[in-house]
Amino acid sequence: MFQDRRIGMALLMPATAFIVLGFLLPVGILLSDAFHTGGGWGVGNFSDFFARALNREVFWRTFRLGIYVTGISAILGYAVALTIVDASDTNKGRLVATLVLPLMISPVARTYAWVVILGKTGIVNQALVASGILDTPARILFSETAIFIGLIQLFFPLMVLPLISALENLPRDVVPAARMLGANWMQVFWKVILPLTKEGLVVGGTLVFVGSLTAYVTPAILGGSKVLMLETLLYQRVSVANDYAAAGVIAVILIVMAVITNVLLKRLAAARKGGR
Amino acid sequence: MTPKFLLAASVLALSTGAALAQDKTLTISVYGVSQDAYKEALYAPFEAKCGCKLIIETGNSSERLAKLEANAAAPVVDVIAFSDANALEAAHKGLTQPINIAGLSNLAKVYDFARDPIGGNMAIGYTFYGTSIVYDSAVVSGVDSWLDLFSDKLKGQVALPNISTTQGPLAMFMIEKALGSDDPNFAKAVDLVAKHRDDIVTFYEKGGQIPQLMQQGEISVSVIGRFGWGNLAKTVPTARWANPKEGQTGGMNVLAVVKGTKNADLATEFVDYWLSTEVQQKLAEGLVDSPVNKDVTVSAEIADGLSYGEDLARTIHFLPAQVMLANRDAWLEAWNAKIAQ
Repeated sequence: MFQDRRIGMALLMPATAFIVLGFLLPVGILLSDAFHTGGGWGVGNFSDFFARALNREVFWRTFRLGIYVTGISAILGYAVALTIVDASDTNKGRLVATLVLPLMISPVARTYAWVVILGKTGIVNQALVASGILDTPARILFSETAIFIGLIQLFFPLMVLPLISALENLPRDVVPAARMLGANWMQVFWKVILPLTKEGLVVGGTLVFVGSLTAYVTPAILGGSKVLMLETLLYQRVSVANDYAAAGVIAVILIVMAVITNVLLKRLAAARKGGR
Repeated sequence: MTPKFLLAASVLALSTGAALAQDKTLTISVYGVSQDAYKEALYAPFEAKCGCKLIIETGNSSERLAKLEANAAAPVVDVIAFSDANALEAAHKGLTQPINIAGLSNLAKVYDFARDPIGGNMAIGYTFYGTSIVYDSAVVSGVDSWLDLFSDKLKGQVALPNISTTQGPLAMFMIEKALGSDDPNFAKAVDLVAKHRDDIVTFYEKGGQIPQLMQQGEISVSVIGRFGWGNLAKTVPTARWANPKEGQTGGMNVLAVVKGTKNADLATEFVDYWLSTEVQQKLAEGLVDSPVNKDVTVSAEIADGLSYGEDLARTIHFLPAQVMLANRDAWLEAWNAKIAQ
């Protein structure tokens, strides 16, 4: 666009300087605490962190819930996205609006709604008792289940939206063609739809997984301190123990998990392109 | 127009700081709660009185302590409100300086226990509160001891404060006491809570959750500070404040002057004003802070929402700030090892 590349570089400078000074540098300084051990630099803080049983448990719980939430969102997400793509234009607009609406409500408000819904006198327990499935109300709040439900609701739209756009780019004829050639619906999904919409799944999966890893309000309110996640543990380390080294370690772990997921999912998507 | 102007003015004042030397300014750092009430009862009258401008910084204690530490070389804040333990921590780190008590005309009116709570005149109490067990009398007949929290009849109905909250160590202090021990490590209390871990509904982090949880029937017993009582009694009319036989515990919030402040005299004046009968009376009537000023008198109804009076203060088992500070990390460690997982 520019004959002189230097003009382009110069135009890039202000934004770059802002990112470097306002984001990368402070984050770097903050995270460097994680590698700062008594005598110098090293990964001692990380081995200390994983040496504690509680920390290992919290790490696995965070990871596990992230996988569950992403997996279930993907399964439900395909069902919803296929329905929306298939709907008439008017209905499509309505359905997408319904899907997006919760995103406009603060996660704090949504999470508090779950406290009421999942409570002992909440609608879920009332229904379970009234239908005879349970004799007495179950304790759902302050458990992994509650966090799981809260996270699904929080991040589900972020899975569906990329899937919708991926499905809309799917050539209209491929499904009828596959059917005509004798594929059943399962085969159509696994061999045609899934491979052709993998990019949407990668984008949605990354958003949901990273979102689940880093959400704070939902685990804090629905799980409480009996069901710690990495982000609630991080808060505890900073605000109670003033332990910035451990907090830095947790932050690094979260960032690394997010980056690895993104890279892995991108690889998955790219593998398909290469193999075609 | 006016609020916008005020906002712009305060942003300007914040960014230029001392440059606006024609206007005397005093920066104070306080907890974020009840700011409207403080503005009316304390900030605005003080500004009118001193002809100066107050800059208010709010946040939780650890945030504000971290900022204080980061700005130690060139302090921004002049007066800081903390819990007694946080104030002691700040004093140990050399972040605060002794209060010029000769300049406090209201000192004689302050209860003895609040005058020099952490020693060396490094802080002065501005409010205190009792902490006890609360229960829903519609569900539970009564709670007579801190050990009742672990009785079979209260199984699955109790929310305890997490060790990370201010109330957490206070509750553990009383449980340890009820077990007949004065061990500052709370070893027996930690073991007892760990044993009953699954019977406890949750270890709460924010006291503000308790009224909702009790109203929903999720819990019927908890441990809270008196400052949260008014709200609970309003939400759950059948809630009762228990008087366990081991007594109640409590805490104190204090004011400290930041080391190296350029406004030492104004800071002293502000601390003195906060302790005055006039301000303490207004804050008490607004159910914001229980007074430490002996001359404050309030109605029985207001007193019920507060921790009011020296007689009551005498019955409170305060957890010494020194003990809190010396053992906090160990408590968290023991808690995480035995209870959190």
